[in-house]
Amino acid sequence: MQRLQLTLAIIKPHAVKNPVAVSYIRHVIKKKFVVVKSKRVSLDSETAANFYKEHVGKFFYNRLVTFMTSGSIDIHVMGHTNAIELWRRLLGPTSVYKAQFQDPYCLRGMFGISDTRNVAHGSDSPASAEREIKFFFPDFSFYKWHKEEEERYRTGPIIFNDYLFRHVRRL
Amino acid sequence: MNSIKVIFKKQRSTIFINRAYATTKKKIHDRNEENQLPIFQYPVSKSSDRRVYAWGMAETGALGVHLPRGKRGRKSYINDFKYFWHPMRSSFAERFDVTNIACGYGFTLASIKTNEQHKIFGTGINTDSQIGYHAPRMGHPLELLLSPAPIYVPYKSLETKIKAIAAGRAHTLILTDNEGVYTLGNNAYGQCGRKINENEEYKGSMVTHNIKRLGKENIVDVCCGQDHSLFITESGRVYSCGWGADGQTGLGTFLNQAAPAAVRGDIANEKIVKVAGVGDCVLALNDKGELFGWGNSEYGQVPVASDQQQVNTSYALVNFTKGIGKIVDVAAGGSFCLIVNDQGDVFVWGFGLLGLGPSVQHSATPKQIPPTLFGRNEFNPESVVAKVACGIAHLAAITNTGDLYMWGRNRQGCLGLGHLRDQHFPLKVAIGAQVIKVECSVDHSVAICKPFV
Repeated sequence: MQRLQLTLAIIKPHAVKNPVAVSYIRHVIKKKFVVVKSKRVSLDSETAANFYKEHVGKFFYNRLVTFMTSGSIDIHVMGHTNAIELWRRLLGPTSVYKAQFQDPYCLRGMFGISDTRNVAHGSDSPASAEREIKFFFPDFSFYKWHKEEEERYRTGPIIFNDYLFRHVRRL
Repeated sequence: MNSIKVIFKKQRSTIFINRAYATTKKKIHDRNEENQLPIFQYPVSKSSDRRVYAWGMAETGALGVHLPRGKRGRKSYINDFKYFWHPMRSSFAERFDVTNIACGYGFTLASIKTNEQHKIFGTGINTDSQIGYHAPRMGHPLELLLSPAPIYVPYKSLETKIKAIAAGRAHTLILTDNEGVYTLGNNAYGQCGRKINENEEYKGSMVTHNIKRLGKENIVDVCCGQDHSLFITESGRVYSCGWGADGQTGLGTFLNQAAPAAVRGDIANEKIVKVAGVGDCVLALNDKGELFGWGNSEYGQVPVASDQQQVNTSYALVNFTKGIGKIVDVAAGGSFCLIVNDQGDVFVWGFGLLGLGPSVQHSATPKQIPPTLFGRNEFNPESVVAKVACGIAHLAAITNTGDLYMWGRNRQGCLGLGHLRDQHFPLKVAIGAQVIKVECSVDHSVAICKPFV
């Protein structure tokens, strides 16, 4: 019995503004993962700077922060036995200009425009996934979820709610 | 009176009788009849006639062709986007005299010759109102237009002519002959040239902004990057606004710029005739055929001495392009640059499928693409490349004979070569007309053509 792993996916502003990309990405997420939480927010520059504080000092830091504050973003907390690696594999290489030749049918190769406008963000390790989920959902308790709710998402009965865009308990 | 009536009646009845009892008579062949027959004349086009061909991703509606979904239902995305991998002739251009075309990220604009209110039409993604406000019901603006719809712009006079249009990721610039520039769409970075309002709702917005003059001069040309705008004034000065995080505004800062300001650096005292840039890198050309550049340089598009990855003031690239001669046209994609000189030789540098070989490669210096690939051979020694264009990752060149050659990344069939594989050398696109101008975007391309006859 493998337990579910959680990861955070952020759909970046340019992809949220493209209905075709949103529809395709949501289709992929719905088919491959159980979606635990979803919300659409628009960040202010302070929050975005805080979220990307590990990149402070890199040349693309200002570019990344101004880009993430330029429009609304979709945030999904997704579960899968191998969630972090699977989501990063679906996204493909970080740099779009390289991804489109290395793996043309990954999400970044299909909908990315430039190295910053690279469709979506994925957590890179269980520790950063926990930190990032805590960042956007301060009320979400990892311990409580793994103890009480994980089994229901793994074994059911659950059903996908398109309006909320997450899996809910089947009544 | 009565007698006249009688005559009428008689005549009618005789006609009626003739018709009713007419018999087929064997026709006697007349030898001279053939000369009297009208000669069938095929229609000959006027010199002002234009055709528009579009190809690439059709799912966004950017090609203006509405394709109903198949039996599998509207949400079955199993990598089966609607696309055209051959150039398709647009029926919109047959109904209107199209003068200019601009391609943005998933949307297309066309300006037409008219003295009426609707001078610009747009189709495709409209989530930021970049192609105006279109609502079939009150309060329900459309996010996606599948066929061209007119854009309402508050012109002061209906006699106004559209001189140029440009489209970025989610904003539109419309240059008129004596009312300056109108801007529509997303202004999150100030790319519309007006004050940035945080949390402004762009969907269903009806805002247009007018930039009359810049530095007391009229604007003569406009150009859009993905999230920044560039304006050229009468004296050849370049003004910019929008996203500056890569230095693509050339203002010496990495900040967003809401009001257009003059680009700094080597360009300041030059007379610029053309600026180009689809992504975050900008190339400019002055009247002597010298090259200038600024913006993103992660892949060596703007090689400066200090090896910066983000160049925020303009630099002269005269030493870099030494030996190439007078440059006549420039284009800049996401990770590469493309130029052509007055001899028709095409040079390319940067990263990607540059057209120099089967592998994706990086070139730090301008490398020439062999002219034979553009149809210059023993039978066609006069064929030279006259214009170039770039999408984010695909490249195009037009020869003086009106042939279009394309190569690079073939995202959703945007090369128009009839397949979905990447093309690593220039190949002629099958278009049934003389290509005048081609516009490339992220995943589609549009060409304005002149009929052959």
